[in-house]
Amino acid sequence: MSGAKARSDAPVAENVPGGGHSTAAPPRDRKPGGGVLKRLKSRRGQVDSRPVTEEDLRTQSGHITPEDVLGLRVATQGYLCKPEDNIYNIDFVRFKIRDLETGTVLFEIAKPPHTEDEEENREADASAGRFVRYQFTPAFLRLRTVGATVEFTVGNRPLSNFRMIERHYFRDHLLKSFDFDFGFCIPNSRNTCEHIYEFPQLSESLVRQMVECPYETRSDSFYFVENRLVMHNKADYAYNGGQ
Amino acid sequence: MGLLTILKKMKQKEREMRLLMLGLDNAGKTTILKKFNGEDVSTISPTLGFNIKTLEHKGFKLNIWDVGGQKSLRSYWRNYFESTDGLVWVVDSADRLRLEDCRQELSALLLEERLAGATLLVFANKQDLPGALSKEQIQEALALDEIRSHHWCIIGCSAVTGNNLLAGVDWLLDDIAARIFTTD
Repeated sequence: MSGAKARSDAPVAENVPGGGHSTAAPPRDRKPGGGVLKRLKSRRGQVDSRPVTEEDLRTQSGHITPEDVLGLRVATQGYLCKPEDNIYNIDFVRFKIRDLETGTVLFEIAKPPHTEDEEENREADASAGRFVRYQFTPAFLRLRTVGATVEFTVGNRPLSNFRMIERHYFRDHLLKSFDFDFGFCIPNSRNTCEHIYEFPQLSESLVRQMVECPYETRSDSFYFVENRLVMHNKADYAYNGGQ
Repeated sequence: MGLLTILKKMKQKEREMRLLMLGLDNAGKTTILKKFNGEDVSTISPTLGFNIKTLEHKGFKLNIWDVGGQKSLRSYWRNYFESTDGLVWVVDSADRLRLEDCRQELSALLLEERLAGATLLVFANKQDLPGALSKEQIQEALALDEIRSHHWCIIGCSAVTGNNLLAGVDWLLDDIAARIFTTD
């Protein structure tokens, strides 16, 4: 369901290249007003990001930046960083989706507290904890206003410029690109973020295809600290539940 | 056309606002945030970091930041000042013992350069409690009438019932919009 964790800013419709918007400017000493220009500048940069492939990013030298992933045009096959790149101990502990029309919680999953077993599993499977499969009913694609909440904890180092970029695709069609700057995160903090947005209005034929082709709707969630990729999570989605 | 005009125009297109909600711990910041967005407020625990909501309201994109108010967290507040258009200062109107603490924290914030361009909304919260001071009493205790540096307004509210939350936010948005989005 990180699936629905997108904001209404990027138009969802067909043929939208990129489209994510960063919001809050990172905390930094600057004269008042400077933040606006920076925000607008960074936004424009995203729209213009040149197309890249997963292969390009794997072979390039140096770390992966937000601009890199904004150039991707399909979901990646693998992960663009290793679990141990998360040196800040950022941990996503809760996801929730609610329907604001009815006030109903549609989906909620909380991670159990950290255990040693979990560490072992992580050793065994590099994708453990990084991949989620969601099964929804077709009605999910007809929602109007939803709120998607994530809750995460941070280790004992402060984060600066914490930024999330989430890309949703159906096959090679970018449904939504979603970009949010958390900016600074307090050490040992527990934080939540809810994006309330109008659910993308998808064409009838796209809805039909998404229902008929389970798990071909995919998302990549990229997390950056100081413009360096530290986490990469993936999800896929089926909308044929209850049929 | 000057830079400021261009910036205003660009921002107008986005119509995006950043609101920062601060106040002492237990003032009701998270409850206000949740109630305003139609969420259940029956189980709210102290915020040990931040809660963010992004939403659309009256045609604006709002990014609302609620940062924990415990004493140990207040030194981190400054990390969230940048680009703030509106400061929401939340007061527990029944917490008479900490009103002076509350006044000092607010007056320190109003000296911050990076908040210089922000409109101030004071929520005199918990008006539903029998021992609550009125918004006039809070206004006096916080010496709001001495503020010359910021547009400000105080509104009595109850986060639990939701009373006056909308009125407060709407005043804030109108004031910010008039400052930022006015055309030349």
